[in-house]
Amino acid sequence: MLKGIHQQLDPQESPAFFIQGPKPFSRLMFFCTLSLVMMAVDARFDYLSQVRQWFSTALHPLEVLASAPNEWGRNINTYFTSHNQLIQDNFKLKQQALIDHAALQRLATVDAENVHLRTLLAGDLPIIPQATLGEVLHMGRDPFSNIITLNRGSRHDITPGQAVVDEQGVVGQITRVYPFTSEVTLITDKKLSIPIQIERNQLRAIAFGEGKRNTLDIPYLPTSVDIKVGDKLVTSGIDGVYPAGLAVAVVTQIKQSQDSPFAKIISRPIAGVNNHKHVLILKMPDTPAMNQASENRPVLPRNNAQHLDQSVVEVLQKNNAAVDPHPATETPVLDAAPASPDGGAAATPENTPATPEHP
Amino acid sequence: MKPVKFSTFLFTMLVGLTFQLYPWSNTGIIIRPDFLLVIMIYWLLQAPYHCNIGWVWFAGLLVDLSTGSLLGQHALTFAVTAFLGLIYQRRLVLFNRWQLYLYVIFLFGAQRALILLLKLFAGGELPDWTYGLPVISDLILWQCMIIWFGELTRPKKL
Repeated sequence: MLKGIHQQLDPQESPAFFIQGPKPFSRLMFFCTLSLVMMAVDARFDYLSQVRQWFSTALHPLEVLASAPNEWGRNINTYFTSHNQLIQDNFKLKQQALIDHAALQRLATVDAENVHLRTLLAGDLPIIPQATLGEVLHMGRDPFSNIITLNRGSRHDITPGQAVVDEQGVVGQITRVYPFTSEVTLITDKKLSIPIQIERNQLRAIAFGEGKRNTLDIPYLPTSVDIKVGDKLVTSGIDGVYPAGLAVAVVTQIKQSQDSPFAKIISRPIAGVNNHKHVLILKMPDTPAMNQASENRPVLPRNNAQHLDQSVVEVLQKNNAAVDPHPATETPVLDAAPASPDGGAAATPENTPATPEHP
Repeated sequence: MKPVKFSTFLFTMLVGLTFQLYPWSNTGIIIRPDFLLVIMIYWLLQAPYHCNIGWVWFAGLLVDLSTGSLLGQHALTFAVTAFLGLIYQRRLVLFNRWQLYLYVIFLFGAQRALILLLKLFAGGELPDWTYGLPVISDLILWQCMIIWFGELTRPKKL
Protein backbone atom coordinates (compact mmCIF):
# COMPACT_ATOMS: atom_id res chain seq x y z
CA MET A 1 0.00 0.00 0.00
CA LEU A 2 2.49 2.60 1.12
CA LYS A 3 5.06 2.04 -1.52
CA GLY A 4 8.08 3.81 -0.17
CA ILE A 5 7.81 2.71 3.43
CA HIS A 6 10.32 -0.08 3.15
CA GLN A 7 12.98 1.84 1.38
CA GLN A 8 16.12 2.52 3.34
CA LEU A 9 16.84 6.05 4.42
CA ASP A 10 20.27 7.55 4.22
CA PRO A 11 21.77 7.93 7.69
CA GLN A 12 22.51 11.63 7.26
CA GLU A 13 18.97 12.34 6.06
CA SER A 14 16.53 13.02 8.82
CA PRO A 15 13.66 10.53 8.67
CA ALA A 16 10.78 12.27 6.98
CA PHE A 17 7.25 11.86 8.17
CA PHE A 18 5.97 11.66 4.62
CA ILE A 19 8.06 9.41 2.44
CA GLN A 20 7.81 10.51 -1.15
CA GLY A 21 11.01 9.31 -2.76
CA PRO A 22 12.85 12.21 -4.37
CA LYS A 23 11.70 15.68 -3.35
CA PRO A 24 8.88 17.09 -5.52
CA PHE A 25 11.06 19.97 -6.60
CA SER A 26 13.85 17.75 -7.91
CA ARG A 27 11.26 15.62 -9.67
CA LEU A 28 9.78 18.76 -11.21
CA MET A 29 13.19 19.92 -12.40
CA PHE A 30 13.92 16.50 -13.91
CA PHE A 31 10.65 16.27 -15.81
CA CYS A 32 10.75 19.91 -16.90
CA THR A 33 14.19 19.37 -18.38
CA LEU A 34 13.03 16.17 -20.03
CA SER A 35 10.01 17.81 -21.65
CA LEU A 36 12.03 20.84 -22.75
CA VAL A 37 14.54 18.53 -24.41
CA MET A 38 11.69 16.62 -26.04
CA MET A 39 10.11 19.81 -27.32
CA ALA A 40 13.41 20.93 -28.80
CA VAL A 41 14.02 17.55 -30.41
CA ASP A 42 10.47 17.34 -31.73
CA ALA A 43 10.58 20.83 -33.17
CA ARG A 44 13.99 20.57 -34.82
CA PHE A 45 14.52 16.93 -35.73
CA ASP A 46 12.48 14.07 -37.02
CA TYR A 47 13.48 11.43 -34.44
CA LEU A 48 10.20 11.39 -32.56
CA SER A 49 7.88 10.79 -35.50
CA GLN A 50 8.49 7.05 -35.12
CA VAL A 51 7.34 7.28 -31.49
CA ARG A 52 4.16 8.97 -32.65
CA GLN A 53 3.61 6.17 -35.17
CA TRP A 54 3.95 3.44 -32.55
CA PHE A 55 1.75 5.28 -30.14
CA SER A 56 -0.92 5.88 -32.74
CA THR A 57 -0.95 2.19 -33.67
CA ALA A 58 -1.11 1.12 -30.03
CA LEU A 59 -3.91 3.55 -29.36
CA HIS A 60 -5.98 2.66 -32.40
CA PRO A 61 -8.27 0.21 -30.51
CA LEU A 62 -8.93 2.83 -27.83
CA GLU A 63 -9.65 5.40 -30.51
CA VAL A 64 -12.14 3.06 -32.18
CA LEU A 65 -13.75 2.47 -28.79
CA ALA A 66 -13.96 6.19 -28.12
CA SER A 67 -15.58 6.97 -31.44
CA ALA A 68 -17.98 4.01 -31.21
CA PRO A 69 -20.88 5.96 -29.59
CA ASN A 70 -20.74 8.55 -32.37
CA GLU A 71 -20.63 5.81 -34.95
CA TRP A 72 -23.66 4.06 -33.45
CA GLY A 73 -25.54 7.32 -33.28
CA ARG A 74 -24.88 7.93 -36.94
CA ASN A 75 -25.85 4.39 -37.89
CA ILE A 76 -29.12 4.62 -35.98
CA ASN A 77 -29.77 7.95 -37.63
CA THR A 78 -29.14 6.40 -41.05
CA TYR A 79 -31.41 3.49 -40.22
CA PHE A 80 -34.33 5.73 -39.35
CA THR A 81 -33.94 8.04 -42.31
CA SER A 82 -37.38 8.03 -43.83
CA HIS A 83 -38.26 6.34 -47.08
CA ASN A 84 -39.43 9.69 -48.48
CA GLN A 85 -36.11 11.30 -47.77
CA LEU A 86 -34.31 8.53 -49.63
CA ILE A 87 -36.57 8.84 -52.65
CA GLN A 88 -36.05 12.60 -52.73
CA ASP A 89 -32.30 12.21 -52.40
CA ASN A 90 -32.26 9.61 -55.12
CA PHE A 91 -34.21 11.89 -57.43
CA LYS A 92 -31.92 14.82 -56.76
CA LEU A 93 -28.81 12.73 -57.27
CA LYS A 94 -30.13 11.35 -60.55
CA GLN A 95 -30.77 14.87 -61.80
CA GLN A 96 -27.33 15.95 -60.71
CA ALA A 97 -25.84 12.89 -62.41
CA LEU A 98 -27.61 13.84 -65.67
CA ILE A 99 -26.23 17.37 -65.54
CA ASP A 100 -22.78 16.09 -64.66
CA HIS A 101 -22.84 13.52 -67.46
CA ALA A 102 -23.62 16.21 -69.97
CA ALA A 103 -20.75 18.31 -68.63
CA LEU A 104 -18.45 15.29 -68.61
CA GLN A 105 -19.16 14.54 -72.26
CA ARG A 106 -18.01 18.02 -73.14
CA LEU A 107 -15.02 17.57 -70.84
CA ALA A 108 -13.95 14.40 -72.64
CA THR A 109 -13.92 16.21 -75.96
CA VAL A 110 -12.12 19.22 -74.56
CA ASP A 111 -9.66 16.95 -72.75
CA ALA A 112 -8.82 15.04 -75.89
CA GLU A 113 -8.39 18.30 -77.74
CA ASN A 114 -6.20 19.67 -74.98
CA VAL A 115 -3.94 16.61 -75.01
CA HIS A 116 -3.73 16.82 -78.77
CA LEU A 117 -2.80 20.50 -78.71
CA ARG A 118 -0.26 19.97 -75.98
CA THR A 119 1.44 17.18 -77.90
CA LEU A 120 1.47 19.45 -80.93
CA LEU A 121 3.28 22.07 -78.88
CA ALA A 122 5.63 19.46 -77.39
CA GLY A 123 4.44 20.36 -73.92
CA ASP A 124 3.89 18.15 -70.91
CA LEU A 125 0.67 16.23 -70.62
CA PRO A 126 -1.77 17.72 -68.15
CA ILE A 127 -1.41 16.29 -64.66
CA ILE A 128 -4.45 14.25 -63.70
CA PRO A 129 -4.39 13.31 -60.02
CA GLN A 130 -5.77 10.10 -58.54
CA ALA A 131 -8.18 10.48 -55.67
CA THR A 132 -8.91 8.52 -52.50
CA LEU A 133 -12.10 9.08 -50.56
CA GLY A 134 -11.50 9.91 -46.91
CA GLU A 135 -13.88 10.41 -44.02
CA VAL A 136 -13.38 13.09 -41.38
CA LEU A 137 -12.93 11.38 -38.02
CA HIS A 138 -12.77 14.46 -35.84
CA MET A 139 -12.01 18.16 -36.00
CA GLY A 140 -8.82 17.94 -33.97
CA ARG A 141 -8.43 17.77 -30.22
CA ASP A 142 -6.31 20.85 -29.93
CA PRO A 143 -8.32 24.08 -29.98
CA PHE A 144 -5.22 25.96 -31.15
CA SER A 145 -4.64 24.25 -34.46
CA ASN A 146 -6.81 24.09 -37.58
CA ILE A 147 -6.42 20.39 -38.13
CA ILE A 148 -8.87 17.67 -39.08
CA THR A 149 -8.19 13.95 -38.87
CA LEU A 150 -9.13 11.57 -41.66
CA ASN A 151 -9.64 7.82 -41.53
CA ARG A 152 -7.00 7.12 -44.16
CA GLY A 153 -3.34 6.60 -43.30
CA SER A 154 -0.08 5.14 -44.50
CA ARG A 155 -1.80 1.75 -44.82
CA HIS A 156 -3.90 3.31 -47.58
CA ASP A 157 -0.85 4.79 -49.35
CA ILE A 158 -1.38 8.28 -48.05
CA THR A 159 1.79 10.35 -47.86
CA PRO A 160 2.43 13.76 -46.30
CA GLY A 161 1.97 16.63 -48.71
CA GLN A 162 -1.06 15.35 -50.56
CA ALA A 163 -3.80 17.84 -51.30
CA VAL A 164 -7.27 17.38 -49.80
CA VAL A 165 -10.34 18.73 -51.58
CA ASP A 166 -14.09 18.53 -51.25
CA GLU A 167 -16.68 18.93 -54.00
CA GLN A 168 -16.32 22.71 -53.98
CA GLY A 169 -12.63 23.37 -53.57
CA VAL A 170 -9.41 22.90 -51.67
CA VAL A 171 -9.70 21.97 -48.00
CA GLY A 172 -6.05 21.62 -47.04
CA GLN A 173 -2.98 19.46 -47.14
CA ILE A 174 -1.98 16.22 -45.41
CA THR A 175 0.74 17.12 -42.93
CA ARG A 176 1.16 14.06 -40.75
CA VAL A 177 0.40 10.44 -41.49
CA TYR A 178 -0.27 7.66 -39.01
CA PRO A 179 -0.85 4.01 -39.96
CA PHE A 180 -4.65 4.30 -39.90
CA THR A 181 -5.31 8.01 -39.78
CA SER A 182 -3.83 11.19 -41.15
CA GLU A 183 -3.89 14.84 -40.17
CA VAL A 184 -4.98 17.53 -42.59
CA THR A 185 -3.90 21.11 -42.00
CA LEU A 186 -6.66 23.36 -43.29
CA ILE A 187 -5.88 26.16 -45.73
CA THR A 188 -7.00 28.63 -43.05
CA ASP A 189 -4.16 27.52 -40.76
CA LYS A 190 -1.46 30.08 -40.15
CA LYS A 191 1.31 27.70 -41.16
CA LEU A 192 -0.15 26.84 -44.55
CA SER A 193 0.28 28.85 -47.71
CA ILE A 194 -1.11 28.00 -51.10
CA PRO A 195 -0.07 29.26 -54.54
CA ILE A 196 -3.09 30.77 -56.25
CA GLN A 197 -4.14 32.49 -59.40
CA ILE A 198 -6.96 34.95 -59.89
CA GLU A 199 -9.30 33.15 -62.24
CA ARG A 200 -10.32 36.33 -64.08
CA ASN A 201 -6.88 37.57 -65.14
CA GLN A 202 -4.50 34.70 -64.29
CA LEU A 203 -2.54 36.87 -61.87
CA ARG A 204 -0.37 34.65 -59.66
CA ALA A 205 0.03 35.11 -55.91
CA ILE A 206 0.35 33.17 -52.69
CA ALA A 207 -2.43 33.03 -50.10
CA PHE A 208 -1.71 32.51 -46.41
CA GLY A 209 -4.10 31.21 -43.79
CA GLU A 210 -5.18 33.57 -41.03
CA GLY A 211 -5.97 31.05 -38.32
CA LYS A 212 -9.09 31.30 -36.22
CA ARG A 213 -10.77 33.90 -38.39
CA ASN A 214 -11.26 31.30 -41.15
CA THR A 215 -10.01 33.61 -43.86
CA LEU A 216 -7.06 33.76 -46.22
CA ASP A 217 -4.74 36.70 -46.64
CA ILE A 218 -2.92 37.61 -49.86
CA PRO A 219 -0.01 39.82 -48.84
CA TYR A 220 2.62 41.58 -50.97
CA LEU A 221 0.28 42.60 -53.76
CA PRO A 222 0.64 46.31 -54.66
CA THR A 223 -2.36 48.61 -54.22
CA SER A 224 -2.54 49.10 -57.96
CA VAL A 225 -3.08 45.41 -58.66
CA ASP A 226 -6.10 44.38 -60.68
CA ILE A 227 -8.19 42.56 -58.10
CA LYS A 228 -11.82 43.04 -57.15
CA VAL A 229 -14.14 41.89 -54.41
CA GLY A 230 -15.78 38.71 -55.67
CA ASP A 231 -12.78 37.51 -57.66
CA LYS A 232 -12.37 33.76 -57.53
CA LEU A 233 -8.98 32.39 -56.56
CA VAL A 234 -7.93 29.03 -57.99
CA THR A 235 -4.80 26.97 -57.48
CA SER A 236 -2.07 27.76 -59.96
CA GLY A 237 -0.47 24.32 -59.85
CA ILE A 238 3.07 25.68 -59.78
CA ASP A 239 4.00 23.95 -56.55
CA GLY A 240 3.28 20.43 -57.73
CA VAL A 241 1.16 19.80 -54.64
CA TYR A 242 -2.20 21.08 -55.77
CA PRO A 243 -3.42 20.36 -59.30
CA ALA A 244 -4.10 23.55 -61.21
CA GLY A 245 -7.56 25.07 -61.38
CA LEU A 246 -9.09 23.99 -58.07
CA ALA A 247 -11.23 26.64 -56.40
CA VAL A 248 -9.67 28.04 -53.24
CA ALA A 249 -11.36 31.23 -52.11
CA VAL A 250 -13.40 34.29 -53.02
CA VAL A 251 -12.07 37.77 -52.32
CA THR A 252 -14.31 39.42 -49.73
CA GLN A 253 -12.48 42.56 -48.72
CA ILE A 254 -9.75 44.82 -50.07
CA LYS A 255 -8.28 47.46 -47.79
CA GLN A 256 -5.90 50.07 -49.07
CA SER A 257 -4.05 52.15 -46.54
CA GLN A 258 -1.98 55.27 -47.21
CA ASP A 259 1.07 54.15 -45.29
CA SER A 260 1.53 50.76 -46.90
CA PRO A 261 2.56 50.00 -50.47
CA PHE A 262 0.63 46.74 -50.27
CA ALA A 263 -3.09 46.15 -50.29
CA LYS A 264 -4.67 44.07 -47.55
CA ILE A 265 -6.69 41.45 -49.40
CA ILE A 266 -8.89 39.10 -47.44
CA SER A 267 -10.70 36.16 -48.93
CA ARG A 268 -13.04 33.46 -47.71
CA PRO A 269 -12.44 29.78 -48.50
CA ILE A 270 -14.92 28.27 -50.94
CA ALA A 271 -14.72 24.70 -49.65
CA GLY A 272 -16.70 23.97 -46.51
CA VAL A 273 -13.50 23.90 -44.52
CA ASN A 274 -15.27 23.23 -41.26
CA ASN A 275 -18.36 21.32 -42.25
CA HIS A 276 -18.10 18.19 -44.27
CA LYS A 277 -17.93 14.50 -43.68
CA HIS A 278 -16.22 13.19 -46.80
CA VAL A 279 -13.24 14.61 -48.63
CA LEU A 280 -11.03 13.55 -51.51
CA ILE A 281 -7.30 13.02 -51.03
CA LEU A 282 -5.51 13.74 -54.28
CA LYS A 283 -2.35 11.95 -55.28
CA MET A 284 -0.19 13.57 -57.91
CA PRO A 285 1.37 11.06 -60.33
CA ASP A 286 5.02 10.37 -59.61
CA THR A 287 7.65 12.25 -61.55
CA PRO A 288 8.92 9.14 -63.44
CA ALA A 289 5.48 8.73 -64.98
CA MET A 290 5.60 12.25 -66.24
CA ASN A 291 9.02 11.74 -67.74
CA GLN A 292 7.73 8.74 -69.63
CA ALA A 293 5.07 10.87 -71.20
CA SER A 294 7.63 13.30 -72.50
CA GLU A 295 10.46 10.90 -73.24
CA ASN A 296 11.59 12.18 -76.58
CA ARG A 297 10.64 15.75 -76.10
CA PRO A 298 12.71 18.57 -74.66
CA VAL A 299 12.19 18.71 -70.91
CA LEU A 300 10.02 21.63 -69.94
CA PRO A 301 9.24 22.86 -66.46
CA ARG A 302 5.96 21.57 -65.08
CA ASN A 303 4.22 24.85 -65.58
CA ASN A 304 5.17 25.57 -69.12
CA ALA A 305 3.00 28.63 -69.60
CA GLN A 306 5.95 31.02 -69.82
CA HIS A 307 7.86 28.73 -72.11
CA LEU A 308 5.00 28.12 -74.49
CA ASP A 309 5.91 30.91 -76.86
CA GLN A 310 9.41 29.50 -77.23
CA SER A 311 8.09 26.03 -77.98
CA VAL A 312 5.55 27.51 -80.40
CA VAL A 313 8.41 28.94 -82.40
CA GLU A 314 10.15 25.57 -82.41
CA VAL A 315 7.03 23.75 -83.45
CA LEU A 316 6.26 26.26 -86.16
CA GLN A 317 9.70 25.74 -87.56
CA LYS A 318 9.22 22.00 -87.65
CA ASN A 319 5.57 22.13 -88.57
CA ASN A 320 6.11 22.61 -92.27
CA ALA A 321 7.35 19.07 -92.50
CA ALA A 322 5.04 17.58 -89.86
CA VAL A 323 2.14 15.51 -91.07
CA ASP A 324 -0.97 16.59 -89.25
CA PRO A 325 -4.48 15.29 -89.94
CA HIS A 326 -6.45 18.30 -88.78
CA PRO A 327 -5.01 21.73 -89.40
CA ALA A 328 -5.95 21.87 -93.06
CA THR A 329 -9.61 21.49 -92.21
CA GLU A 330 -9.70 23.29 -88.90
CA THR A 331 -7.91 26.52 -89.57
CA PRO A 332 -10.13 27.69 -92.40
CA VAL A 333 -13.22 27.12 -90.24
CA LEU A 334 -11.80 29.32 -87.50
CA ASP A 335 -10.93 32.01 -89.96
CA ALA A 336 -14.21 31.83 -91.77
CA ALA A 337 -16.33 31.74 -88.62
CA PRO A 338 -17.11 35.47 -88.33
CA ALA A 339 -17.90 35.74 -92.02
CA SER A 340 -20.19 32.73 -92.46
CA PRO A 341 -23.84 32.95 -91.26
CA ASP A 342 -23.44 29.64 -89.31
CA GLY A 343 -20.38 30.89 -87.48
CA GLY A 344 -22.16 34.17 -86.77
CA ALA A 345 -24.57 32.33 -84.49
CA ALA A 346 -21.66 31.45 -82.23
CA ALA A 347 -20.46 35.01 -82.22
CA THR A 348 -23.81 36.64 -81.43
CA PRO A 349 -24.04 35.64 -77.75
CA GLU A 350 -20.83 37.54 -77.20
CA ASN A 351 -22.14 40.60 -78.94
CA THR A 352 -25.58 40.73 -77.38
CA PRO A 353 -24.55 41.63 -73.81
CA ALA A 354 -22.42 44.43 -75.22
CA THR A 355 -25.22 46.09 -77.18
CA PRO A 356 -27.51 47.14 -74.29
CA GLU A 357 -24.59 48.85 -72.56
CA HIS A 358 -23.75 51.21 -75.39
CA PRO A 359 -27.03 53.11 -75.86
CA MET B 1 -10.00 8.48 2.85
CA LYS B 2 -9.62 4.81 2.15
CA PRO B 3 -6.46 3.72 0.39
CA VAL B 4 -7.05 3.17 -3.32
CA LYS B 5 -5.91 0.19 -5.32
CA PHE B 6 -3.28 0.80 -7.93
CA SER B 7 -5.50 -0.89 -10.52
CA THR B 8 -8.28 1.64 -9.83
CA PHE B 9 -5.83 4.43 -10.47
CA LEU B 10 -4.68 2.90 -13.75
CA PHE B 11 -8.24 2.19 -14.83
CA THR B 12 -9.40 5.78 -14.29
CA MET B 13 -6.37 6.95 -16.22
CA LEU B 14 -7.35 4.73 -19.15
CA VAL B 15 -10.94 5.97 -19.01
CA GLY B 16 -9.65 9.55 -18.99
CA LEU B 17 -7.53 8.84 -22.05
CA THR B 18 -10.51 7.31 -23.85
CA PHE B 19 -12.56 10.43 -23.19
CA GLN B 20 -9.64 12.51 -24.38
CA LEU B 21 -9.69 10.54 -27.63
CA TYR B 22 -13.45 10.94 -28.10
CA PRO B 23 -14.12 12.76 -31.39
CA TRP B 24 -15.39 16.07 -30.05
CA SER B 25 -17.38 18.31 -32.33
CA ASN B 26 -16.66 22.00 -32.78
CA THR B 27 -18.85 23.20 -29.93
CA GLY B 28 -17.90 20.26 -27.75
CA ILE B 29 -14.24 21.12 -27.88
CA ILE B 30 -14.92 24.56 -26.40
CA ILE B 31 -16.36 23.16 -23.19
CA ARG B 32 -14.47 19.87 -23.07
CA PRO B 33 -12.81 19.36 -19.69
CA ASP B 34 -9.16 18.25 -19.57
CA PHE B 35 -10.08 14.74 -18.49
CA LEU B 36 -6.61 13.42 -17.87
CA LEU B 37 -5.49 16.54 -16.01
CA VAL B 38 -8.41 16.48 -13.59
CA ILE B 39 -8.10 12.75 -12.96
CA MET B 40 -4.34 12.89 -12.43
CA ILE B 41 -4.45 15.94 -10.15
CA TYR B 42 -7.17 14.26 -8.12
CA TRP B 43 -5.05 11.14 -7.61
CA LEU B 44 -1.97 13.23 -6.96
CA LEU B 45 -3.71 14.93 -4.05
CA GLN B 46 -5.78 11.96 -2.91
CA ALA B 47 -3.33 9.10 -3.33
CA PRO B 48 0.22 10.45 -3.47
CA TYR B 49 1.54 6.93 -2.86
CA HIS B 50 0.37 5.91 -6.37
CA CYS B 51 0.53 9.09 -8.35
CA ASN B 52 3.54 11.37 -8.36
CA ILE B 53 4.77 14.13 -10.62
CA GLY B 54 6.18 11.54 -12.99
CA TRP B 55 2.78 9.97 -13.59
CA VAL B 56 1.16 13.34 -14.18
CA TRP B 57 3.94 14.19 -16.59
CA PHE B 58 3.34 10.90 -18.41
CA ALA B 59 -0.36 11.72 -18.70
CA GLY B 60 0.62 15.05 -20.22
CA LEU B 61 2.75 13.20 -22.72
CA LEU B 62 -0.25 11.05 -23.67
CA VAL B 63 -2.27 14.22 -24.24
CA ASP B 64 0.53 15.55 -26.44
CA LEU B 65 0.56 12.39 -28.51
CA SER B 66 -3.20 12.28 -28.89
CA THR B 67 -3.54 15.93 -29.90
CA GLY B 68 -0.57 15.80 -32.22
CA SER B 69 0.90 18.93 -30.66
CA LEU B 70 4.58 19.49 -30.00
CA LEU B 71 5.80 16.56 -27.89
CA GLY B 72 6.41 17.70 -24.32
CA GLN B 73 4.19 20.80 -24.26
CA HIS B 74 1.33 19.39 -22.24
CA ALA B 75 3.76 17.18 -20.31
CA LEU B 76 5.65 20.25 -19.10
CA THR B 77 2.53 22.12 -18.01
CA PHE B 78 1.11 19.01 -16.33
CA ALA B 79 4.32 18.56 -14.34
CA VAL B 80 4.36 22.21 -13.22
CA THR B 81 0.68 22.02 -12.24
CA ALA B 82 1.37 18.85 -10.28
CA PHE B 83 4.18 20.59 -8.42
CA LEU B 84 1.92 23.54 -7.58
CA GLY B 85 -0.65 21.04 -6.34
CA LEU B 86 1.85 19.23 -4.15
CA ILE B 87 2.84 22.41 -2.29
CA TYR B 88 -0.42 22.41 -0.35
CA GLN B 89 -1.11 18.70 -0.55
CA ARG B 90 -0.55 18.05 3.17
CA ARG B 91 -2.62 21.02 4.26
CA LEU B 92 -5.64 20.06 2.18
CA VAL B 93 -7.34 18.38 5.13
CA LEU B 94 -7.63 21.75 6.81
CA PHE B 95 -9.32 23.34 3.81
CA ASN B 96 -13.06 23.67 3.67
CA ARG B 97 -14.93 22.84 0.49
CA TRP B 98 -14.83 26.34 -1.00
CA GLN B 99 -11.17 26.83 -0.31
CA LEU B 100 -10.50 23.55 -2.07
CA TYR B 101 -12.56 24.62 -5.09
CA LEU B 102 -10.63 27.86 -5.27
CA TYR B 103 -7.36 26.00 -5.04
CA VAL B 104 -8.35 23.57 -7.77
CA ILE B 105 -9.57 26.38 -10.04
CA PHE B 106 -6.19 28.00 -9.54
CA LEU B 107 -4.45 24.77 -10.56
CA PHE B 108 -6.52 24.21 -13.71
CA GLY B 109 -6.27 27.87 -14.62
CA ALA B 110 -2.51 27.75 -14.18
CA GLN B 111 -2.26 24.79 -16.54
CA ARG B 112 -4.32 26.56 -19.22
CA ALA B 113 -2.31 29.75 -18.81
CA LEU B 114 0.94 27.84 -19.13
CA ILE B 115 -0.12 25.97 -22.25
CA LEU B 116 -1.33 29.27 -23.73
CA LEU B 117 2.07 30.79 -23.00
CA LEU B 118 3.88 27.90 -24.68
CA LYS B 119 1.61 28.06 -27.72
CA LEU B 120 2.11 31.80 -28.01
CA PHE B 121 5.88 31.29 -27.90
CA ALA B 122 5.52 28.77 -30.71
CA GLY B 123 3.72 31.36 -32.83
CA GLY B 124 0.10 30.60 -32.01
CA GLU B 125 -2.54 33.28 -31.80
CA LEU B 126 -4.47 34.55 -28.84
CA PRO B 127 -7.74 32.63 -28.43
CA ASP B 128 -10.98 34.35 -27.43
CA TRP B 129 -12.60 34.31 -24.00
CA THR B 130 -14.12 30.84 -24.49
CA TYR B 131 -10.65 29.48 -23.88
CA GLY B 132 -11.29 29.78 -20.13
CA LEU B 133 -14.60 27.88 -20.21
CA PRO B 134 -13.13 24.37 -19.73
CA VAL B 135 -12.06 25.37 -16.22
CA ILE B 136 -15.75 25.26 -15.27
CA SER B 137 -16.27 21.83 -16.82
CA ASP B 138 -13.02 20.76 -15.14
CA LEU B 139 -14.59 21.72 -11.83
CA ILE B 140 -17.71 19.68 -12.59
CA LEU B 141 -15.55 16.68 -13.40
CA TRP B 142 -13.60 17.31 -10.21
CA GLN B 143 -16.83 17.18 -8.22
CA CYS B 144 -17.70 13.89 -9.95
CA MET B 145 -14.32 12.47 -8.95
CA ILE B 146 -14.95 13.52 -5.34
CA ILE B 147 -18.36 11.86 -5.37
CA TRP B 148 -16.97 8.64 -6.85
CA PHE B 149 -13.69 8.32 -5.01
CA GLY B 150 -14.09 10.28 -1.79
CA GLU B 151 -13.50 13.72 -0.31
CA LEU B 152 -10.09 15.27 0.03
CA THR B 153 -10.98 17.42 3.02
CA ARG B 154 -11.52 16.09 6.52
CA PRO B 155 -15.05 14.90 7.34
CA LYS B 156 -16.89 17.34 9.65
CA LYS B 157 -17.59 14.83 12.43
CA LEU B 158 -13.98 14.43 13.49
